[in-house]
Amino acid sequence: MQRVRIQGVAAAGAALAVMALSLAACSSSSSGSGGSSSSLSGTLNASGSTFQLPFQQAAIQAYKSIQPGMTVNYGGGGSGKGRSDLAAGVVQFAGSDSPIPSDEIANFKGKTVLYFPVFLGPITMSYNLSGVSSLKLTPTVIADIFQGKITKWNDPALKSINPGVSLPSTPISLAVRSDSSGTTANFSLFLQTAEPSVWKLGSSSTINWPSSAHAGNGNGGVAQIIKSTPGAIGYVDYADAKASGLSYASVQNKAGKYIAPSPSSASAAGTTVTLAPNLTFAAVWSSDPAAYPITYQSWDLVYQKQSSTNTTKMLKAYIGYLLGDGQKLLNPLGYAPLPANILSKAKAQLSKIGS
Amino acid sequence: MSAVTQADQAAPGSAPAGGLIGHRGLADRGFQWLAAAAGLLVLVILVLIAVTTSQQAASWFSTEGLGIFGTKWIPAENKFGALPFIYGTAVTGVIALVMAVPVSIGIALLLTEVVPYRLARPIVYVVDLLAVVPSVVWGLWGILVFAPWIQHIYASIGSAVTGIPVLDSLFGPPTSGASFFTAGIILAFMITPIVTSLSREVIATVPTMDREGAYALGATRWEMIRGVVWPHSQGGVVGAVLLGLGRAMGETIAVALVIGSSPTITSHLFATGYNMPAVIANQFGEATGVWKAGLMGMGVLLFAFTIIVNMIARGVVERSARRMRGA
Amino acid sequence: MAAVTEPQQANLRQPAGWRRTKDRIATTAMVIAFVVVIIPLVFVLYTVVAKGISVISWQFLTGPIPPSVLPADVGGMGPAVLGTIEITALAAAMAVPLGVLGAIYLNEYGGNNWLSRFIGFMSDVMTGVPSIVMGLFIFSIWVLHFGFSGLAGAFALGCLMLPIVIRSTYEMLRLVPDPLREGSYALGSSKSRVTLTVVLPAALGGIVSGVLLAVARAAGETAPLLFTILTVTEANPNVFSGPNTSLPSQIFVNASSPYPGAQARGWGAALTLIAIAFILMIAARVVTARFARYSR
Repeated sequence: MQRVRIQGVAAAGAALAVMALSLAACSSSSSGSGGSSSSLSGTLNASGSTFQLPFQQAAIQAYKSIQPGMTVNYGGGGSGKGRSDLAAGVVQFAGSDSPIPSDEIANFKGKTVLYFPVFLGPITMSYNLSGVSSLKLTPTVIADIFQGKITKWNDPALKSINPGVSLPSTPISLAVRSDSSGTTANFSLFLQTAEPSVWKLGSSSTINWPSSAHAGNGNGGVAQIIKSTPGAIGYVDYADAKASGLSYASVQNKAGKYIAPSPSSASAAGTTVTLAPNLTFAAVWSSDPAAYPITYQSWDLVYQKQSSTNTTKMLKAYIGYLLGDGQKLLNPLGYAPLPANILSKAKAQLSKIGS
Repeated sequence: MSAVTQADQAAPGSAPAGGLIGHRGLADRGFQWLAAAAGLLVLVILVLIAVTTSQQAASWFSTEGLGIFGTKWIPAENKFGALPFIYGTAVTGVIALVMAVPVSIGIALLLTEVVPYRLARPIVYVVDLLAVVPSVVWGLWGILVFAPWIQHIYASIGSAVTGIPVLDSLFGPPTSGASFFTAGIILAFMITPIVTSLSREVIATVPTMDREGAYALGATRWEMIRGVVWPHSQGGVVGAVLLGLGRAMGETIAVALVIGSSPTITSHLFATGYNMPAVIANQFGEATGVWKAGLMGMGVLLFAFTIIVNMIARGVVERSARRMRGA
Repeated sequence: MAAVTEPQQANLRQPAGWRRTKDRIATTAMVIAFVVVIIPLVFVLYTVVAKGISVISWQFLTGPIPPSVLPADVGGMGPAVLGTIEITALAAAMAVPLGVLGAIYLNEYGGNNWLSRFIGFMSDVMTGVPSIVMGLFIFSIWVLHFGFSGLAGAFALGCLMLPIVIRSTYEMLRLVPDPLREGSYALGSSKSRVTLTVVLPAALGGIVSGVLLAVARAAGETAPLLFTILTVTEANPNVFSGPNTSLPSQIFVNASSPYPGAQARGWGAALTLIAIAFILMIAARVVTARFARYSR
């Protein structure tokens, strides 16, 4: 009896076996057994706001020494992506800089979403103009620049508010977001609130920018565009702008003062917010005289109902860390910690997860 | 004895005429069916791609109807017209072809007509090296090195042609390092290897006798190329060019990084733009509902278009090669 | 007889002025075409090597992916290297046997019938399908039901590799001379036995070379992985479940980053990727030169 060595068939059989095994073994989200309450194991997947990205990356690294058995993945991708991933059940929590807009509510199929505010921070008007180290902008001028009405740096409108600065005749290049972004939503909300008669492009996660704008992915992408394009101006969150070494402008606030973006001017903006019962609020265009007018906030969104007790434990532990010791990581990165009243309400909401 | 005669009578290269006994026959048939199934897999996959992606895109087609060719893609306002991206795909493809085709044909002719055999191998290696660079590395280099360097050149050209009628609308401001033109240049680099190698294959099938006949009549090399090589191989070269076009239109990552991500229909080639694969890559992760269906739908359009272009191209190349072989 | 004047020595090698000039211009243009192609190639390779070489180290190839802000000497691309290796290996494990079998069908069993010619034609057409469409396909058919995983990415890469492996294997099988097969038939072998024990080993060198090139192509692809592996920064040794990452995916992410550290890691990853593709390409040529008994 001769053994036929059917190499090809064996290899194909192996491939089919692989596929069969994978069908049996596949699972998508977090797994792992829960240990004692002090040591957790498993994976938390998250995505969303790139405003949160530097903070999340630092927090995840620091958290490894607190819970070495837990893996947290924060994918970024923009607030819109975070919300759609959460709606699709791909992630356990999502970072979003704006509350769920009305046209996305249906995606969540009526399930309650809890908002956990994590920090405040400024949106800088970053620019790339050699020789110009300080710049002042008003909401009207910003609105005109980003609607394509002011096209050169030496425009009279810019010159009049920057008397001592010699502005070149370079054309202005706009750097904006290509993805669905909470930073865009808050920036446009600021323009709409401050100058409703001048700003015509509405407030939303994606804006129909002038056709000459150069769009990038994430706050990092916009920062990169500004850095490499002489004459560019764009909106980038403070943490990313500072880490990229960009120059940014001082913006005139509601009280008429020109304020530079910083954690302290962002905290000042946080003192005047009206908190909704679900912990949403808007920090832009604050009336505080020391406040930076384009300050915004970010939340971590979690479903109230959780299917796995281990996931509930991990979420409570990690988000509890962000609201607790994690707040110490904020200042060096360029964020402002939450005001005390908001922080305590957020911590109190932790018990609602999984209830 | 009889077994030997039977084997003798079997047609060369085919199974023995007597057939196989027992389990050996079963294993043999089994293997044949397995091989056939593997072969059919290609067709099955292609059909599945068409069916599943169209299913996912259905809501876009039904919601927009002919509006899929609308000029505005504004997710916030539920407008999903894909024309800016179709336009961008066409423009970058044309720019890539205009730059890559002369260069590729030139290299192909260099390899087949001019260069002695020993020199041909290293030249082919160099062209193959161009193909080895992954798309994402082209994109990385493009956005971090090439675009910042070339934006100054665009700006100078832009300001130089301001006011001149046709040139201004093509090359005038606004200019940006990341633009249709930069994407076209990088695409040209990427499709050169495939157009070169296919053109070379086609040109190599021109009968040597015809070449030598032209030389015998006193033609210079260029006259021989024009008079003998070109008429014989133009069909095949057109096929090679079409294949390059198909590749250029489907290239995603390098383009997504250097095109500027601005959905506009504009004649200014140095301005930021967008095209179909780039917008799918950038927006798919966060899209929902009709938005996602729209991106999937553009994937369907891309699939259909590249299949058609590739079928025409391969058909043309095969026909011209067959004609050359005298089949 | 009239004096026989010496016929003017016709210069047979050099055609008259303008024709010669046109010829020279044409030749120069062809050489320029080649030079035009070398310039960007050298530019890219030089940049990748120059910017990447300072980052590459054992720690880079195995270390974790740090936050983007951190400078270049911290961490590395370990999870991405692992992801590329495991996803590409899985894709090859699926595509190579199926591709070789498919080519066997086309060459040994199909002969010249319309079906195998059609399959061969459509297989070539399939090589032109954009890689992002493969990603969208696997997203629709697998990820929506089973979630993101390295396996989904491997399916997408496998779809990409399949027609390439079929075409190169087919060409190699065609080159095996018929007398080899006939000798084996004459000894009473079944067709499957002939194929597996005579034809395949004879073409093996060429097949392996083709497979190496297909693997090099797949390792560098980003678009099929965009919607199938959900690029993360943590290493995931389990290729069958859970999101994963890969070198091209990480380069794509880092290319949009403003931080010099992240960009430097991107260059290092690009150098690693090109080195892998280069090594595979050279291995393919070595295999062809030394082991392929029949080549074009």
